[in-house]
Amino acid sequence: MSPMGRLRMLIDSLSHPRVTEKYPYEPIPIPEDFRGKPEIDPEKCIGCAACARVCPPNAITFRDDHEQGYRVLQVFLGRCIFCGRCQDSCPVGAIKLTKEFELVSLSKDDLYQVVKLELAKCVRCGKYTVPYRYIKYLMEKGPKILKYELLLCPECKSEVMTLIKYHYAQEVHE
Amino acid sequence: MQDIKRVIEENNGKIVVEHDYFLLVEVSREHVRKLARTLFEAGAYYSTGVGSDERPRNGFFAMYHILNHEESKKYIVLKVEAPEHDLRIPSITPEIEGANWAEREAHDVLGIVFEGHPEPERLILPDDWPEGVYPLRKDFKYNEKVKPVRKEEKFIEREDALVLPLGPFHPTLHEPEYFEIYVDGETIAGARYKGFFIHRGLEKLAEGRLTIHQIPFVAERICGICGYTHMICYCQAVENAIELEVPERAEYIRTLLLEIERIHSHILWFGVVYHLLGFDTGFMHAWRIREKVMDIAEMLTGNRKTYGMSLVGGVRRDIDEDKKEKTLKALREVSQEMKKLFNDVLAMKEILNRIEDVGILPKDRARSIGVVGPVARGSGINTDVRKDHPYAAYKYLDFKVPVYNGCDVLSRYLVRADEIFESIYLIEQVLDQMPGGDIMVERFEVPEFSVGVGATEAPRGEDVHFVITHRGSKVYRWRPRAPTYNNLPSVPVMLEGEHLADAPAIIGSIDPCFSCTDHVTIVDDSTGKILFRGPLEDAIRRLKR
Repeated sequence: MSPMGRLRMLIDSLSHPRVTEKYPYEPIPIPEDFRGKPEIDPEKCIGCAACARVCPPNAITFRDDHEQGYRVLQVFLGRCIFCGRCQDSCPVGAIKLTKEFELVSLSKDDLYQVVKLELAKCVRCGKYTVPYRYIKYLMEKGPKILKYELLLCPECKSEVMTLIKYHYAQEVHE
Repeated sequence: MQDIKRVIEENNGKIVVEHDYFLLVEVSREHVRKLARTLFEAGAYYSTGVGSDERPRNGFFAMYHILNHEESKKYIVLKVEAPEHDLRIPSITPEIEGANWAEREAHDVLGIVFEGHPEPERLILPDDWPEGVYPLRKDFKYNEKVKPVRKEEKFIEREDALVLPLGPFHPTLHEPEYFEIYVDGETIAGARYKGFFIHRGLEKLAEGRLTIHQIPFVAERICGICGYTHMICYCQAVENAIELEVPERAEYIRTLLLEIERIHSHILWFGVVYHLLGFDTGFMHAWRIREKVMDIAEMLTGNRKTYGMSLVGGVRRDIDEDKKEKTLKALREVSQEMKKLFNDVLAMKEILNRIEDVGILPKDRARSIGVVGPVARGSGINTDVRKDHPYAAYKYLDFKVPVYNGCDVLSRYLVRADEIFESIYLIEQVLDQMPGGDIMVERFEVPEFSVGVGATEAPRGEDVHFVITHRGSKVYRWRPRAPTYNNLPSVPVMLEGEHLADAPAIIGSIDPCFSCTDHVTIVDDSTGKILFRGPLEDAIRRLKR
């Protein structure tokens, strides 16, 4: 037996103050770049669904209601892994990770955030396409191609493009 | 280097891809066994094996045996193919013991039959999984459900010893694992391992649903302690497959975080081992010190567990001067406190006696099983992926690899103790030398069917990820192999001839990962009945009589 090691251990233990923190009675310090609860700003969101496409655990999903003409974007915190890929991918900075981490709730509904955006209609066939705000964003910031084609649904777009190409080819031919 | 290529070519292997990091060798079924043996004799050890269903591409099933040849600084990937109607490949387990699990797993998930395998039992699929359903075949959907079949539990009976099941849930086992320990009085006469109770099917999920950029976030959740190393390992495998150069600054940041992870993982392990030895004071001190490292990780990555920090092509967050200083300051404190703790503990004879000359794993046995990391280095094998296959920024840095020849629990303890201080030294160099520049390559092309191998030195040993890319930024096959996969088969060897009371420390000494619900049952050898509490006491009394 060796009392020396034990004695030194005892002294070491006594020389340390209590390390347990008083949380939750006192707030706990959070570092500057902490990744907590994602929050989506419904005013800024353009409904492009880039966040839903990159989200690894499918916490962000979107659904298009073609009857009523709405796109519903939903963030479910129950699946969120707080990676922050949505924040990286958002073109307008509508979704941001906050420092909030106390997410316990008695109701599952509290864990959902829903954004509802109106869909635009295809100017040719009248079918619902993508949200208005998304088209507006592309008109302003998108590549300078034919702006008209943004107002079409994919089917009409390909038809119109074929027609344009055909006419163009004929013109060149003539 | 030339030698190993000559060896491969002389033994009918065809080198298809020659990469800085690995060689892809195609070999026919007749010659695989001889080639594997020759490579093993030339100093390569079995790292892992990957089965793959490549029928959509060419109608064949393939088995990739990945061997680690430290001398030439390369991984050698042996590819053996078998057509669907004749799914037989000669087993290489009789030549290299380490291939045992990998081949059994390939049989479970793909139905490849390994001829001449000494132990052709089910390994990873649960007992109630129906025969003839192979989940990793491409015609099996990732969200498909199978109907379980009922099966009788069976215990192997031994006349000379009492069977003592340890697990599947037990505080000394870090994950739901099951050891059947055969005891003769107080001495362990043998042990059998059964695991994979929490196989999560990540590979299928990744192949079925996720893209290349989503998998890192699944990969880092393979382990709750050393997750970052899995993420980097996956990223490196993809980067090797598509030949992508990562910016130097990103390499340094990756190294920094990998070393921080090693420090906190090792300190955690010391706490666990002290706890297993009944020395809870040491456990409390170790975990108190560890908390400082966790705070650094939280400050640097925004998450206590270094999650969400990297992607294929680089890292997602930069590090500024303020963070550098805070890191160095905290690490100096950690270094001092750990030195003090180690000195105090090693002055205690009662701790030393419990770990010295306990759980012996001889060097030759360690090599043939293919153990990795501190377990191998505690048995006198000088292996470290950071030196043997330099990745990230390790090629620019200076560090020592501690090797001890004791082959016991104490040696593994000392290896980890030394590694903590080496890691702190490495971090100081990283922060000092870190160059400026970009931290991420954002645009790159992903070719189809490109094979990549990535490896990192996780706190628990060599971590290997194997990736075959697919069109549309997906993976065709992804196979992560955690270090414990190679270390666990060595536990029965270590346990043999030891006292039962030392079993927790021995199992703990390989540092398997921690979930704890106490559950011990004793099986009465004659009836095979599981006894609890009351009957358990009766049985013990009966035995004593």
